[in-house]
Amino acid sequence: MASVVPLREARRPAAASAAPTLRIDPSVCDGVGICSHLAPDLITVDSWGYPIVSPTPLEHRSDRRQAEAAVGACPRKALHLSR
Amino acid sequence: MTNHLQLAAPPRRGTASMMVDTAALLPRSGTETLSGPDIHDLDAHRAAYGVRRSYLGSAGAALLDAIETITLTGRGGGHFPTAAKWRSVMAHGVGGTVVANGAEGEPGSAKDAVLLQIRPHLVLDGLVSAMETIGASDGVVWIHDGAWATARSVSRALAERAHAGVDDPPIRVLLAPDRFLSGEATGIIRTLEGGPTLPRYVENPAQPWTTGHRPVLVNNVETMARVGLLAVGSAATYHPTSLLTVINAAHRVVLEAGPDQTIGDIVDLAWHSPDGREPQAVLLGGYGGSWVPWEVARALPVDVGAVRAAGFSIGAGLIAPLPASACGLEESARLVRYLAGQSAKQCGPCVFGLASVSQLADDLSGGRLSPSGRRRLTKFMAEISGRGACRHPDGALRMLTTALDVFADDVSTHRRGRTCDSPTYAVLPVPGED
Repeated sequence: MASVVPLREARRPAAASAAPTLRIDPSVCDGVGICSHLAPDLITVDSWGYPIVSPTPLEHRSDRRQAEAAVGACPRKALHLSR
Repeated sequence: MTNHLQLAAPPRRGTASMMVDTAALLPRSGTETLSGPDIHDLDAHRAAYGVRRSYLGSAGAALLDAIETITLTGRGGGHFPTAAKWRSVMAHGVGGTVVANGAEGEPGSAKDAVLLQIRPHLVLDGLVSAMETIGASDGVVWIHDGAWATARSVSRALAERAHAGVDDPPIRVLLAPDRFLSGEATGIIRTLEGGPTLPRYVENPAQPWTTGHRPVLVNNVETMARVGLLAVGSAATYHPTSLLTVINAAHRVVLEAGPDQTIGDIVDLAWHSPDGREPQAVLLGGYGGSWVPWEVARALPVDVGAVRAAGFSIGAGLIAPLPASACGLEESARLVRYLAGQSAKQCGPCVFGLASVSQLADDLSGGRLSPSGRRRLTKFMAEISGRGACRHPDGALRMLTTALDVFADDVSTHRRGRTCDSPTYAVLPVPGED
């Protein structure tokens, strides 16, 4: 556990709950794999080429940008951001 | 008046007298209820349990309180608290659907079919009380296509109630495709919304229906029967029993047991050992449940909370003892193969991942798995965990994980390239296997 609270969160306690989370509907995903190239910090692929999505809320803008790119590029519309 | 399900007189060994046909799932076997079932028509039902009170208007709050007082949980296997589930549906207003789920996907289980065949009115009392409490306008009894004896029993009971002038809201009997996952709640809701009977990904478990569609409450039929008991009685008179299915080589026994009995008592009562010895372990809850060593299982009381406190789940009430002479690894590899084959074929981690795990488990069971294959098995199991739209792959993994632990001796024998000299017969039945 981090002993220092990041300044940003300390100032705006609501920020943590407002951060979106990247989610996947595994029943729609076909394992195309574009997402893992566009969001390499958030998505890895398993042994069969299917994405494993980070379950943590996206606090940082760079993560959110990656996530939005992946959501927009998925040809199966299997990814979305939820709050 | 009686305060528990009382499928039969208190069970005694050797008094099994009548087979209840639940042949749809396991074609070559029948099911017996100890002491023989005593089928209740409406008159017998009312004589045994009393007449249901109405839960329209403010009366529903008392029923909800009673459900909460007895900490009723979902008997389909998930054991989600029933009162919380009702409240999350009620938060979306009136006019929804209540489903009494009797599809019993669990292949070893027969308790829901037996319950619907011999106590249909108790389930219907629960269903109607749920509809009144929640303000639902549509009632559904959900049954496997092919479970004709069950469908006939429910239809007859509905006709009887209509004939007797019972003031029930409209209830439909719907037949689900005869598949393992047809009883999965999200697949039922998807069907009611006009889609296929296949599980779907639900982001918010408190709202498994699609926004804009009618709210849907799905409860297992045994859960509904317990609501039915509360609806005619009270939390104070309720007896916290469980319906169990005990798997034998060629038949299953369905019985009701309470916290004053242990799994050991139930196995003594309803299981016939093929080798004259005590079992080495028990598969508890379902085919996606946990293998529990016999020394541990025998002492567990038949009590949802006590079993959970011990780190297991009573699940859908399945008790599958493994004979001392059988190989737990071989049995488990067969079950994983069956479960992988029953995938709804929607999610990659299940379609490909579970299939790969099943192949490796087969190799391990056949004494063909290399050390690198063993590492791959561990890696694959970790990769799949928690990643399906439904819990089907997780159940298969739980069963296999506990098997690798409980049957560690078998595993090390097989890993050295040998197999056990266990009997060649399959102990745990799976549909479609000879």
